[in-house]
Amino acid sequence: MPEILCCFKWLIDESYIRASSSGELDLETVDYKLSNYDRNAIEESVRLQEEYGGTVSAITVGLPDSTKGVKDALSRGPEKAYFINDDSFENLEPSQTAAILADIISSQINYDLIICGEGSSDLYAQQVGPRLAEKLGIPCISYIQKVQIEGDRIVAEKKVEDGIEVISAPMPVLLTVLPDINTPRIPGLKDTLGASKKPVINISKDDLTVSYEAKIHTNAIIAASMERNCQKFGSETEDIANLARALAKEGVIK
Amino acid sequence: MDFRLTEEQELIRSNMREFAETYVDPIAAEIDESARYPAEVIEKLAEGGWMGMPFPVEYGGQGTDYLTYAIAIEELSRSCAATGFTMSVHTSLSLMPIFLFGNEEQKKKYLPPLAQGKHIGAFALTEPGAGTDVGAATTTAVLEGDEYVLNGTKTFCSNGPVADTYVTFAWTDKSAGRKGLSAFIVSKGTPGLKVGSHFMKMGIRASQTSEIIFKDCRIPKANLLGKEGDGMKIAMNCFDHGRIGIAGQSVGITQAALDESINYSKQRIQFGKPISKNQAIQWWIADMATDINAARFLTYHAAWLKDQGQPFTKEASMAKVFCAEMAMKHTVKAVQIHGGYGYCKGFKVERLMRDAKITEIYEGTSEAQRMVIAGTVLR
Ligand SMILES: Cc1cc2nc3c(=O)[nH]c(=O)nc-3n(C[C@H](O)[C@H](O)[C@H](O)COP(=O)(O)OP(=O)(O)OC[C@H]3O[C@@H](n4cnc5c(N)ncnc54)[C@H](O)[C@@H]3O)c2cc1C
Repeated sequence: MPEILCCFKWLIDESYIRASSSGELDLETVDYKLSNYDRNAIEESVRLQEEYGGTVSAITVGLPDSTKGVKDALSRGPEKAYFINDDSFENLEPSQTAAILADIISSQINYDLIICGEGSSDLYAQQVGPRLAEKLGIPCISYIQKVQIEGDRIVAEKKVEDGIEVISAPMPVLLTVLPDINTPRIPGLKDTLGASKKPVINISKDDLTVSYEAKIHTNAIIAASMERNCQKFGSETEDIANLARALAKEGVIK
Repeated sequence: MDFRLTEEQELIRSNMREFAETYVDPIAAEIDESARYPAEVIEKLAEGGWMGMPFPVEYGGQGTDYLTYAIAIEELSRSCAATGFTMSVHTSLSLMPIFLFGNEEQKKKYLPPLAQGKHIGAFALTEPGAGTDVGAATTTAVLEGDEYVLNGTKTFCSNGPVADTYVTFAWTDKSAGRKGLSAFIVSKGTPGLKVGSHFMKMGIRASQTSEIIFKDCRIPKANLLGKEGDGMKIAMNCFDHGRIGIAGQSVGITQAALDESINYSKQRIQFGKPISKNQAIQWWIADMATDINAARFLTYHAAWLKDQGQPFTKEASMAKVFCAEMAMKHTVKAVQIHGGYGYCKGFKVERLMRDAKITEIYEGTSEAQRMVIAGTVLR
């Protein structure tokens, strides 16, 4: 029976981000949420547990005030959570997150299967999963849209450009899942109320073997601006020719 | 003073929001148009534990506080006021009196199926000749051996056609004045209980409203709620609780009106710019947002008082009348912001304006709320 570990990130809900006219982001009044695809990762972990038995734990790295995120994750089914937190864990870049997770997982947690979302809803770097697998020395299968367990192997359907690749790998293995894999259920009241009673294992920076410095530095984040260009054309033959020329000029058609 | 909700309350709010966006938004216009009871949504609410929120787990509930319940009603009503009201009547007017005034046997028997949403509750007080003036009711209950025999006609009974359990009121002693009214639990299928004609309404059309007729309806003596003569007290207590729900419903309706107005006014171009660039529109929207804030705090405060075990009758009435009148005022403005389109089916504000009107009428009209408030303030 598999011991499943799902990774999640508690991050800024992008729908609350406002951009000023100069492109600066206003993060004063934002709210936070579980990264979208991590909901799929948690749901898939719980679904596999329902089908094959075993255990599901959730793990996150973040700021100490992400406790609501831990409750949110637990309300979706995992029976316990590992909460690696420190005031310095703000805006970690993927190499740091993966290294911290690997450090704790390899020293403290038993697992047969680790499930991550394909990418986070903020950066979508798609790196934490593969980097974590690399550090743990286990296989990583990405772009997963369906998964089954057969004996001690995982059989997964990976979405590729023009089709589906069916891959099998021995456990322990790490999967990164696409949103197509399932529809996360909405926690009911009992789930939310029960989440507060589940065990949370707090892990601090002191529990790490070394400290991990950022390899990438973000110098600025500026809102993308979309140039809108509105031109009006009539319906005469000549107008249509003008429309085609204008589209070609903009590079929309060749 | 602490204006923060708990993490749990915030999560419950966002889960209800997601529930409503997933299951209610897609059908809200359809069930309004066809006046259809959304049984499938009520079943889903039941599965999620939403139909018995503020009751102890031992009676099948979830053990939340009343504030959390008010928040859930608000978020559900933001998508569909009729569905929000169905849940609110069930919880505040049917389960609550059984929980607060029922004896252990009654609580064990009636609460679990209701709190789990397997049964639906209704509250039948109003009569054709007795609306605001509850004392003008004429339904009677006569004790014959081990049974009460009920005779009379109740009207405007929400959930009436779909309910399994009714809390109703009848005179056991007409000569005793207010102390002669008693409350009873009546189960669906009791001989002599008939669901009368259904009302076709202006708004909250998916909420089912009907007459309930008692004709020599015999119920066990054990179905008396509280003692003989407790009826008026129980009814007023139901309203105290119910009004917090209606206040929450009104906030939800108005929040939806604001959401729609912001979206539309930013998109609608007239005179070469979005109409939201006009100060007239901005001020309407600013007033809407301000009133919603005030209304929400009145509602949450009344619920908080209830949770603290303090008196909350006056505050529940204040919240109810303020929120209801705010909902009416601003849904009218929201239609105005939408211009001609707002007057037509297909735009949510058209439904919101019709739905808002009822909040000024049921569970005590705005005038009745002012009577309650003045009664305590002038004492
Ligand atoms: C959709 C809907 C659902 C309902 N659901 C339920 C339900 O589930 N259970 C239930 O028991 N009832 C229910 N009701 C009944 C509702 O509570 C009553 O309609 C309401 O209490 C008003 O009573 P009335 O309609 O008889 O109006 P009336 O009492 O006749 O009032 C008419 C007008 O006179 C005003 N008025 C009356 N008395 C005074 C006074 N002394 N001073 C100043 N003004 C006064 C009122 O405010 C109102 O403006 C529902 C009604 C509707 C429309």
